[in-house]
Amino acid sequence: MSGISQIFGKELTRVFRDRKMIFSIFLLPVIIMIGIMTLVSHLSSSAQEDVKAHNSIVYIQNAPAGFEEFIKTVDKNCEIFAVNDWDSAKEMIKNGDADLLIEFPEDFVNMVSGYHAGDVVPQIKTYYNPSEDYSSAAYEAISTGALEVYRQALLSQRVDDMASLSVFTVNSDNPDMIIQDEEKAGGKMLGMMLPYFVTILLFAGAMGIGTDMVAGEKERGTMASLLVSPVKRSSIVLGKVFALMTISGVSSVIYVGAMVAFMPQMMGQGGLGLNLTLNSKQIAMLAALLISIAFLYSAIIVLFSVFAKTVKEASSYVMPVYMLILVLGITTMFTTKAPQEWSYMVPIYNTSLTLQGILTQEVTMMHYGMTLGITLVLGAVLVGVIAKAFESEKVMAI
Amino acid sequence: MIQIKGLTKIYKLNKKQMKESKTTNPMKTAVDDLSLTAKPGEIYGLLGPNGAGKTTTLRCISTIIKPTKGEIYVSGHEVQKEPEKVRGKIGFLTGDIKLDPQFSVDYMFNFFGRIHNIPEEKLKARKEELFSYFEIKDFSHKKIKELSTGMAQKAAIAVCLVHDPEIVIFDEPTNGLDVVTARSVTDYLKKLKNEGKLVIISTHVMSEAEKICDRIGIIIDGSKVAEGNLEEILHETNTGDLEDAFFELYRNKKGGK
Repeated sequence: MSGISQIFGKELTRVFRDRKMIFSIFLLPVIIMIGIMTLVSHLSSSAQEDVKAHNSIVYIQNAPAGFEEFIKTVDKNCEIFAVNDWDSAKEMIKNGDADLLIEFPEDFVNMVSGYHAGDVVPQIKTYYNPSEDYSSAAYEAISTGALEVYRQALLSQRVDDMASLSVFTVNSDNPDMIIQDEEKAGGKMLGMMLPYFVTILLFAGAMGIGTDMVAGEKERGTMASLLVSPVKRSSIVLGKVFALMTISGVSSVIYVGAMVAFMPQMMGQGGLGLNLTLNSKQIAMLAALLISIAFLYSAIIVLFSVFAKTVKEASSYVMPVYMLILVLGITTMFTTKAPQEWSYMVPIYNTSLTLQGILTQEVTMMHYGMTLGITLVLGAVLVGVIAKAFESEKVMAI
Repeated sequence: MIQIKGLTKIYKLNKKQMKESKTTNPMKTAVDDLSLTAKPGEIYGLLGPNGAGKTTTLRCISTIIKPTKGEIYVSGHEVQKEPEKVRGKIGFLTGDIKLDPQFSVDYMFNFFGRIHNIPEEKLKARKEELFSYFEIKDFSHKKIKELSTGMAQKAAIAVCLVHDPEIVIFDEPTNGLDVVTARSVTDYLKKLKNEGKLVIISTHVMSEAEKICDRIGIIIDGSKVAEGNLEEILHETNTGDLEDAFFELYRNKKGGK
């Protein structure tokens, strides 16, 4: 076992003594992430405000007298025009020059006022362009809002007791309608995102350093000096894998910490409404699982780096693996069915499931144990394979 | 003591390598049934042209590569059975082995000292001795990447001797060094020998072999064609100097071509 701690120490020293490395590994990704998220949320909120501030342009054909008033009650700044040429009005909607087109039947007022049971019910048609934000907003406000108010108003002229028409209401006065475990709900939301983020963070954090740690040493010719020292190959491998785990762990802690701290800036006001409280059992389970995932990922990265001759080659080997792991992480975001028993046997995929399960408190101890065991065993097997590869003069190219 | 018994090393060439060496045979015998014994208190020189198998032999002794056939005992430990023990007894240096460029000479020296489990006190004393001998003190705090070739080579030599090894293996010890540094290295090798250690080097420089080696093994095409001290080899080949002796042996081996 001697040698592991020295090699571990050396690898960490290499990273933590170098200001440039600290910046590029730990700070830069965080700064970029926060910058992009803040920018995106800023742009989207200003886009929303722009839509709100916009005066809708509405064209109406055969508008009955007094209808404009109803529109003004919903959207008082909207500009209303009568349709002169039907086709050009449609064209304007298509081009985004107008937001909404409302078509009343020619004798709408008479049809309504002279209605008898069995007559044709008059139809109002509205046209809008869903790829234009202004148009969508106008459709929402007027087509579903103002017209409904207008209908109610006309209806009240025809029927004396409006309440008799509604028969019953649903939840018109029931503030307590949502019954859920707040913790579980918060966990559900976070459980959807966390496995995905953990994957990105742990893997991406280790990728650059991991390839340099092994393929880089081969490329620079410094690996051989370790290989002629009386240290077991497996100790060299473990020293490096543990160092990589630590680095990826530290970088993901910084990342998660920054995300939590800057969440309000990144998500705009209100955030996501995440209210997650973890009990100590959950924290312990998460910690053990995250450490074992970091171990597995580090082993995977080192494994691919061992077979590469240069850092560049190693990066191109590791990239597809990263993609695959990302895809496995995403799949758990969109599964609603309870996972099958066998899915806890699939490495990497099972860690995403279990992470989610811990947060929603739905994971069983059996599944947790299975996931933890498989992850650790696979990591250990990979370390064994790497150590074997270290023995091979062909792989080490010395 | 190093005992090599019937060492054979066959490399498998890939297509690119086969094309480069213009052959259709994917098997290349680098060392062919080589046996030799080198004892403590001597400098043993493996002399031969490029590609003769000198470096391959030294790498097999150092456990970096594995023999295809044969056995090698280093201080009684077989290289394939107890590689860690063998590596603990030797100091191995070649131009291909480099120190981590981001670290200072001091750090690398301490790092390898700890890898070899040397107590702190002893490590300090070793550092004092080696750094003053090779005049490293002035730049020991500098990173390896900031050093000149000669300084880096000196640093590498000091680091490889940190554990005061019984056996020192040098592949082309003076390659790429200026005259002054080369002299200090060969002088140090003699010092090691006088301390009773075994030094085994490879070289293609005749004058170097003549001057510092107690015994010389001449290798051509992976086989040992002559062995002994300078007089014995000259006597055997009936020549006046090592270069003539070498060409005599070379002609014989290549069938007078």
